[in-house]
Amino acid sequence: MKSVGRYGLLTVAGVISLAPLLWMMASSLKTGGDIIARPFSFDPGQLTLTNFRSMLDTIPIGTGFRNTAIVVVVKGALTMVFCPMAGFAFAKYAFPGKRVLFATVLTTLMLPTLVLLIPLLLEMSQLGWVSTFQALILPGAIDAFGVFWMRQVILAIPDELLDAARVDGAGELRIFASIVLPVIRPGLAALGVLTFINIYNDFVWPVVAVNDEQHQTLQVMLSALAQNIRSGQLGADWTSVWGQLLAASTVAAIPVLVVFVFLQRHLIKGVMAGSLKG
Amino acid sequence: MATLTEATATRRSAHRVRRRRVKAAPYLFVAPFVLVFAAFSAYPIFFALQLSFTDWHGAGALKITGLANYRYLLTSPDFWQSMATSGALWLLVVPAQVMLALTIAVALRKARFRGLFSAALIAPFVTPLVAMAQVWIILFDQDFGAVNHGLSSIGLPTIGWLTTSAWAKVTVALLVLWRTTGYAVILLMAGLSTIPADVYEAARIDGAGAWQQFWSITVPLVTRTLSFVVVIGTLTVFQLFAEPYVVTGGGPFNATRTAGLYLYKHITNSDLGLGAANSMLLVVMVLALSLASIRLLRSREDS
Repeated sequence: MKSVGRYGLLTVAGVISLAPLLWMMASSLKTGGDIIARPFSFDPGQLTLTNFRSMLDTIPIGTGFRNTAIVVVVKGALTMVFCPMAGFAFAKYAFPGKRVLFATVLTTLMLPTLVLLIPLLLEMSQLGWVSTFQALILPGAIDAFGVFWMRQVILAIPDELLDAARVDGAGELRIFASIVLPVIRPGLAALGVLTFINIYNDFVWPVVAVNDEQHQTLQVMLSALAQNIRSGQLGADWTSVWGQLLAASTVAAIPVLVVFVFLQRHLIKGVMAGSLKG
Repeated sequence: MATLTEATATRRSAHRVRRRRVKAAPYLFVAPFVLVFAAFSAYPIFFALQLSFTDWHGAGALKITGLANYRYLLTSPDFWQSMATSGALWLLVVPAQVMLALTIAVALRKARFRGLFSAALIAPFVTPLVAMAQVWIILFDQDFGAVNHGLSSIGLPTIGWLTTSAWAKVTVALLVLWRTTGYAVILLMAGLSTIPADVYEAARIDGAGAWQQFWSITVPLVTRTLSFVVVIGTLTVFQLFAEPYVVTGGGPFNATRTAGLYLYKHITNSDLGLGAANSMLLVVMVLALSLASIRLLRSREDS
């Protein structure tokens, strides 16, 4: 490929990837009238925080952030501890039942998660868990993909390393914690980034599992705002509504973008690792 | 001699003790995963299968109705419309994505600033879907949106991006493409990196041009990754929920009511038996499509 064509193509692709994000952030700082009349102009002298202020009055975004944080921390911790642990068992032990169990893991990877929506919802109502944190946290925690991925990563650890520790008298849990985990740190970092992003952005399950505002995650709260707009419930003041929507979207995007900027290397490595097993 | 066998014996018994401990360990290690998996994946799937043969509405006893739900769905125009909508979105998303991602990945392979470009390309993938779906509503608004503003400023006619049946599908497809193509590029980069450089070297010596190299080396050698991209794209499109839910609400006139949204309608209508049957049909559909895509791509590999 000629280098002009190559860099031209890459630049166009890069700009298209970033443009909607940058437009969202820039426009959230403009007045509603400006967003509509001059969508592509950006005058640093005319910036305003009005949209953010009125957005804070309209939706309890703090509650949304708190709920999302609780789910991310607990669900993330479960995934980060128990996926490598199960992966370790699948990679480095021979035990009766392993084949069947592992085949089940592989099958689940192909199943659309939407299938679980209705039965899980019923299960939650049988347990009395509708609109609770348990409902948001437990289904989908320690997911099969994470187990499979960690197994692939741990397979690469030489058996001699583990046996040497065994000869020195280390217990199996000790071996997991002080040999396996440190060795797979890059893989864990990638799993961590992907897990954070997936849980933070999760939408289908939280929208079904929670009916009250106290437990709504950030994403569900945002979608309620969009629905109000589509059905015209927020009145005729479109310009102010658009500004609020952009402000809320910007605020919701900031945490993932911060994580992304610092950890994108791990993310890219993680995605690549995920494909090589394919 | 005696000491030697004694030593072996002690070593053996120590080994046995260790072995017993080792035997219990893997079960303890998989236990948390198995528990969560059994409770929130395996059990619900079997429950859904059972429900799909009943007319359950969320309360009362389960009444078996046999294949009635399946018969209803397979003869229902709404069901087929939702499948056709997902099919149309598949056509709009997957072929374009494969071509775009492969072209960009090939361009990226030998480019400088690769890290910078990859970061820009994967950024949309991490953005909160709901937030970006809202940005989409605003960008593509017919009267006040930036996209139509741009079109009319360069003298092109404006488009009813969210208000006409055909364009609404395109608008949703554009959001999916924008969010997930970078992910496909990174996947393909990984695939490309496994092709040894001397294969290209040999082809060049044999006088193969860039285009020929692309078709006879690159494409066949990344078939596995390509099929992975297609399968992931298929799963994404047939499970599409949040994008149409937020951007169009399934409208106009159900033009963007995907299989996923139609499933959701059963939940809001409390037609849970019917919804369960719909889920099962969706599983069959997704598995069949994924396997067919793999078969198609693999057959190219063999020829």
